[in-house]
Amino acid sequence: MAAAAASSSTPAAVREMQRDLESQANALSKIQKDISKNHQVRKQYTIQVGENELVLKELELVNDEANVYKLIGPVLVKQDLAEAKANVKKRIEYISAELKRMDRALKDLEEKQNSKKESIFKLQQKMQAVQAKA
Amino acid sequence: MASPPRIEVEKLSVEQLKALKEQTDLEVNLLQDSLTKIRSAATRLENASAALHDLSLRPKGKKMLVPLTASLYVPGTLDDSEKVLVDVGTGYFIEKTMTEGKEYCERKINLLKSNFDELVEMATKKKNIADEMGRLLQAKLRQSSPSPSS
Repeated sequence: MAAAAASSSTPAAVREMQRDLESQANALSKIQKDISKNHQVRKQYTIQVGENELVLKELELVNDEANVYKLIGPVLVKQDLAEAKANVKKRIEYISAELKRMDRALKDLEEKQNSKKESIFKLQQKMQAVQAKA
Repeated sequence: MASPPRIEVEKLSVEQLKALKEQTDLEVNLLQDSLTKIRSAATRLENASAALHDLSLRPKGKKMLVPLTASLYVPGTLDDSEKVLVDVGTGYFIEKTMTEGKEYCERKINLLKSNFDELVEMATKKKNIADEMGRLLQAKLRQSSPSPSS
């Protein structure tokens, strides 16, 4: 009688584990998508930092009397050299800070991914053990 | 600092080899794309440099046709060929002399060429790795498939 009850509860337990496994797999998939998105954004930011650094290098090379213009919409607006340098430096600082933030977020996501993978692996082992008993 | 662990490719399974080869091929393709982009950027800069040289030979007041769009040109005269506006990126333009403009182009071309050479080296190495993996994969597949008995 007890054996029959145990055997009838086994499929229910397996089903429960299956559901749990599915939800865990979905969560892992979401984390992986976030990681991929993070990589794309980081790539864009890295390109922007590189471009801004090249602009700053060019601005450092010109003499103080040189005319510098900023393209605003379709119009070229004359800008003070010191102001242009300050703007570019500020932009580099901002993007670099964003990159650091992205790095921290990526580290966090990778940790989450690893722990999720581990829990999925453990759940799979548990399921196999239950099925083997049945 | 410890060097990253070397993968012994010979010991990998067929599936692992396939995955690794796909990954390497993808990297090779990305590098090839980058090389193409660098090449086109260098060509643009060389064209700009040639245009500057051509412009420096023209006298002030020279009549010319100025493009407003790709298919619309209006007549104009050359006012000052000694000063040029150089687009240095992120929406900034710097007024430079003709010589400085040429120097800028040369500097950029040299930078691109050094990057190009580095990438070529990297792409060649990756390509060799991918080819080696391909050969190994073929050999493993031949081993695993039973030879037809005559």
